[in-house]
Amino acid sequence: MNDRIIFEDVSKFYGEILGINRVNLSIPPGITSLVGPNGSGKTTLMNLMTGLVMPSRGQIHVLGYRTDDPENLFKVVGYSTQFDAFPKGLSGFQFLYSYLLVSGRPSSEAQQLAWQAIERLNMGEAAHRNVASYSKGMRQRIRLAQALAHDPKVLVLDEPLNGLDPLARAEMIALFRSAASQGCYVIISSHILHEVDIISDQVVLLSNGYVVAEGQIQNVRKEIQEHPTQIMIRCNRPRELAAKMFTSEQATEVSIHKDERGLLLKTRDADRFYLALNELAMDGIEIESIAPADDDVLSVYEYLIGNEEVVR
Amino acid sequence: MNRTGWAQIKAVIRLEFKKTLFARRGVWIYALALLPVLLYIAFAFAVGNRQHRSEGFARHGEKRVAYQDLASIQPGMTKDEVISILGKPPVASHWVEERPMVGAPNVRIAHEDYRYSDGRNDLDVGLAGGRVVSLNLTTHANPGQDSVMFAGVFQFFFLRLAVFFGCLGIFMNLFRGEILDRSLHFYFLAPIRRDVLMAGKFLAGLLATCTIFVSSEILQTCAFLWHFTASEQDLYLYHNHGLQYAAIYAGVTVLACIGYGAFFLVAGMLFRNPIFPAAVALIWEAINPFLPNILKQFSIIYYLKSLCPVEIPVAPGTPPFFALLISNAEPISAPWAILGVLVVAVIALYVSSRQVRRLEVNYTTE
Repeated sequence: MNDRIIFEDVSKFYGEILGINRVNLSIPPGITSLVGPNGSGKTTLMNLMTGLVMPSRGQIHVLGYRTDDPENLFKVVGYSTQFDAFPKGLSGFQFLYSYLLVSGRPSSEAQQLAWQAIERLNMGEAAHRNVASYSKGMRQRIRLAQALAHDPKVLVLDEPLNGLDPLARAEMIALFRSAASQGCYVIISSHILHEVDIISDQVVLLSNGYVVAEGQIQNVRKEIQEHPTQIMIRCNRPRELAAKMFTSEQATEVSIHKDERGLLLKTRDADRFYLALNELAMDGIEIESIAPADDDVLSVYEYLIGNEEVVR
Repeated sequence: MNRTGWAQIKAVIRLEFKKTLFARRGVWIYALALLPVLLYIAFAFAVGNRQHRSEGFARHGEKRVAYQDLASIQPGMTKDEVISILGKPPVASHWVEERPMVGAPNVRIAHEDYRYSDGRNDLDVGLAGGRVVSLNLTTHANPGQDSVMFAGVFQFFFLRLAVFFGCLGIFMNLFRGEILDRSLHFYFLAPIRRDVLMAGKFLAGLLATCTIFVSSEILQTCAFLWHFTASEQDLYLYHNHGLQYAAIYAGVTVLACIGYGAFFLVAGMLFRNPIFPAAVALIWEAINPFLPNILKQFSIIYYLKSLCPVEIPVAPGTPPFFALLISNAEPISAPWAILGVLVVAVIALYVSSRQVRRLEVNYTTE
């Protein structure tokens, strides 16, 4: 319990409006992405995790800390919210420095940590400018700097790549990966699925306040029985292989790829198909690669939630 | 509380004090605080003008008169007796009254009005039929009389309106303002206990209100003393408790900031609209004299009035309703009054500390 982020039967209602309902989660270290359309409950889940809102029912523990104990919780948690407002009249440096002072750090340590965070986010040049004059991307960076400044074990990041240019996105993703590789819990919400797919170790798919799936994306995919697994086979004679596939019991649908250098097939039992493939491909067909074609977040998302407001 | 807690309170005070003191939306609080200062400055100018005129009368009089001469004139004295003491008046007017008599012809009575001055005090003498019938000795600079005016302005404007609404504007915004600005999460994302945060914000608000209103009180005292001569100022400050009164007024102002501040801090967390709690509190404080004793104790003005050093006299003929408003019928001793304000404040702060733990960052519902 002390090494996980635990949601036990958690529900949150805003008056009569459902935020999330009956959520049970156990989040391990690594990068966990919360995926879902707008209003699915991603931000509510993050706000609950950080004690900004309290659950209507259930319990949440973050590495053993209760969320109504901010004094201890935020020693291990850093949260970059989507709220785009800052205390008035502060420069980027003052914003971080004040945050660290309020956190109880001595002045010299607060200064040092603030500069470290600023340098980590490449904001040195803008550090003494008023936050109010920052661009959207810079405000996003300074929020990330705030979340990272005290080197937390749990990083909760609500749409952290919003407003960032491609270079900055790549830098941020590298930063998240580096944190995760050091044993951090990085919780990211996003509706940009290809980015989620690149960076996530596990996903939590949300829809209308419910968790519809969670875990490593491949495992989630395996559990979706009603959609046959899609496999992409690259080979030298795709038409010949496709003809053989039709005779196999494992393939339910076969189509030649547009570039005529491979074929896409669907099977309900991928393990048995892989065994059968060895026999089918013996007659001089050279198989270059075999790879699942729909065990990514995008496909899983489409199977489970549909095409609601996601960016590919 | 441990060392970290104190450091956190200091950090919150640093941020909030600056923000509160220099907030553009708080300009009206400065205006409220400065209004009595402007009033006393205007009063000093008016008194100065009157004194200037009196000095003119004194110069133009036949004799140079002293205050004792003016005070020696008594009703019933003859015109000649008055002139022998004070000389011919520098300002005089006369008129004739036709007094009707029953069953007899009208009687003609000659009236004369004289004005004398020693330069600082004016004496208006009314003569009828050659004898003094009315006297009015006006002292332009009368610290005793003026300190009653100061007490009235302090109790009825400064405490009940300026400090009251100033605290409303500052303390209600400590949390509510940040919810409206959508910036409260800045604090809620830090490893700081919510009640420690509340304490820091309260102290920052207290420091800001005390800075504004105690400064105003000091400026009011200076402006109030402006029109007195140096010797009058000396007499008032060091021999007639003036300095002691100023210190007590400053202390009462600080207590008012503590009491109203604590009340409006909790009100800001419980109510979205400040108008409702402000109206209820204003009415509650206003009807305090009419409340039963037990309920009076839940009012801040009840204790503050008891601490004010100068009693405001109720003029004869004042309707009982207004007399009750003006007078402090059942004052309590200073230690109990101080304790009373502090107890009310502690109760309010306790409720605030419970409330702040339940406060959620949910800007969309605001």
